[in-house]
Amino acid sequence: MAAGTEIFFEHSHLGRPLAWSVALHVGFACFVVLWAVILPGSRGSDWGAGGGGDAIGVSLVSTVPLPASQTPTPNVLANESKGLSKSEPKIEEKEPEAIPIPDTDTKNKKKPALSASKKPAPQPEPESNEVPFGQGGPVSGPYGTFSAAGAKGGFGFTGGGGDFGTRYAWYVQVVQRKVSENWLKYEVDPRIAQANRVYITFAITRDGRPTSVEVEQSSGVPSLDNSAVRAIQRIDTFGPLPPDYPGNKVAVEFWFDYKR
Amino acid sequence: MSRIGLSDSMVSISAQPAVIALVGRCLWFLLVTLALTLPGQAQDWIRTGTGLGVEKVRLAVPDFKPGTSDPKNTDLLQEFNSVLWNDLDNAGIFDMVSKSFYPLDVPGAPPEVHFEAWNVLPPNASMLVFGNLAAAGANVTVQGWLFDVKNVSSPQVLGKQYQDAATKDAVRVIAHKFADEIIFRLGGGIPGIAESRIYFVSDRSGHKELWGMDYDGSNQRQITHLGSISISPRVSPDGSRLAFSSLEKNGWEIRMYSFDLSRLVTFPAFSGTNLSPSWSPDGTKLAFSSSRGGEPNIYIMDAAGANLRRLTSDKGPDVSPSWNRKTGAQLAFVSGRTGLPQIYTMETDGTNQQRLTDQGYAVSPSWSPNGQFLTFSWFRKYGPGAPGANDIYLMDIASKQWVQLTHDGGRNDFPSWSPDGRHIVFQSSRTGSEQIWMMLADGSKAQQLTFGGRNTQPNWSWK
Repeated sequence: MAAGTEIFFEHSHLGRPLAWSVALHVGFACFVVLWAVILPGSRGSDWGAGGGGDAIGVSLVSTVPLPASQTPTPNVLANESKGLSKSEPKIEEKEPEAIPIPDTDTKNKKKPALSASKKPAPQPEPESNEVPFGQGGPVSGPYGTFSAAGAKGGFGFTGGGGDFGTRYAWYVQVVQRKVSENWLKYEVDPRIAQANRVYITFAITRDGRPTSVEVEQSSGVPSLDNSAVRAIQRIDTFGPLPPDYPGNKVAVEFWFDYKR
Repeated sequence: MSRIGLSDSMVSISAQPAVIALVGRCLWFLLVTLALTLPGQAQDWIRTGTGLGVEKVRLAVPDFKPGTSDPKNTDLLQEFNSVLWNDLDNAGIFDMVSKSFYPLDVPGAPPEVHFEAWNVLPPNASMLVFGNLAAAGANVTVQGWLFDVKNVSSPQVLGKQYQDAATKDAVRVIAHKFADEIIFRLGGGIPGIAESRIYFVSDRSGHKELWGMDYDGSNQRQITHLGSISISPRVSPDGSRLAFSSLEKNGWEIRMYSFDLSRLVTFPAFSGTNLSPSWSPDGTKLAFSSSRGGEPNIYIMDAAGANLRRLTSDKGPDVSPSWNRKTGAQLAFVSGRTGLPQIYTMETDGTNQQRLTDQGYAVSPSWSPNGQFLTFSWFRKYGPGAPGANDIYLMDIASKQWVQLTHDGGRNDFPSWSPDGRHIVFQSSRTGSEQIWMMLADGSKAQQLTFGGRNTQPNWSWK
């Protein structure tokens, strides 16, 4: 009798499978939690063109000609460098034992450098050999900048007829907006997290078409250079040049800062 | 005891395959988890644009002032101001400064502009539109300016003067023209859509006839009076003719209506069921679907109906062609060759047929004016008891990435692009009956355009 009831008493058979089951369930739950918590960054970056903040922009509609709504832009002046207009001599402030007057001299040295950067002449040829590569905050004058959730771009205008940028600031903004709408960041190699600045020059003809698009200074990343060139080539027209502008065309230097 | 011993050994012998089975199951769980959590197609809502952080133009549009003391000014001004505001608001490229932020004294002419009142908070505008409207007798003169209020030294961007009869319709047209001019300047050379038209099918007269209206839903007028069923209106690129299909005594035929002559013009009849004509961007050819050879297939013919050529073969129905408006060299169409209808593209000689959608029920493709996108109606999880319904989707043809534009319920179908590539008009049943709706191409700002009867199958004009 005791022997017979033991056949149906399967207590021992449940122990190990039950333990395995509990262990697997717990392990699965931990795995899901880990996946969700530890790796949201990599998932987020797959969603769209490196969109930051609340703009989950899916990159594919970058060329729908609608402007983006404003996202908070990082302070472009946070960069310490002074701009590419003039390379700064290295200011060694290691004169603590000297009289405090040399400090004010260095401050005066900085101011002429900034005002010199307001020249509307083409800036990519600095006077000295040293090019602060990849640095450079916004240059004042007929130049504009835009920020792109981490990526920045900007440009300068040169052309007959004087100071195009101050007279036709609205046209400058149209160009800025249109190029930023047409820059598809997913064309850049996804392994690149940050790159140096690429300078593109092109001319805008009287009817607003961009022509002679060239890479003036490469960023070192071919896919970024190509995506910048294509951004401008993709554009049919910026709109005709202002009717009271005397020149036949306007040269534009546009820079793109890429940051994923 | 011996039974216990036997059962123990049974456990120990069978433990090894059991362990292997459990490990195998564990791995299978991991694989399934990975497959489910890996990012799939980029599907998301677009409420914002590209995320590149470029500011929209902050545009202030105060009411225009009366230029004379003619009593007609009040009505005309009311019409003008509301139409101008709506056109600029609908354009989708401006951040309109709310009227409650405007200073109390509003300029009517350039000497009256106080820049310091406009370019700081609270209005903080970057552009200002202002002007005056002066009715004198039977005529009205409207002067309008677009000023860049952040650029005090040379603010004028536009200065325009319009003259027309002193009627509400004429003043509405002037407002459309001025708004289009502003949009053209500030929107990067893409003309505005304020003077474009939308053609659609409405049954409010008792039969399904073709109607036309302004892009904002005003001036809705009946075009055909055939007393039959007329559907799928498609206007020609130059706006002079309207192709559609109509149920005749011998079946569905392609018919042509001429706006110049205000009547139907003769068009050859083909056998079978002939539906959904689509114009090539140069206006010389029409693509349509015809079942004259048995199954519905895509055919191409001249705009006069000659030189009929078949493009697709007989395997499965092929309908709803839509021409590539940028190149004129490709067609998008719907094919049921795999069962449920899916979207395909092909060259205009019928070669290189590519499938774009991978599942569900996809119909009514419409190619964007810049040639890069298709919008269509898709029911992704089609099947009995499936959630959701037809929604409008936007797909980038080169990368096959898509985005869902409508979510708010109802069946959304028959999307059509605006000529500026920024708006999509479609039909939606979200209010209970089918009506025409318009939205921006990122899915925002949906507004209803028609309200009476059942209104379907909209088609936006080419300019």
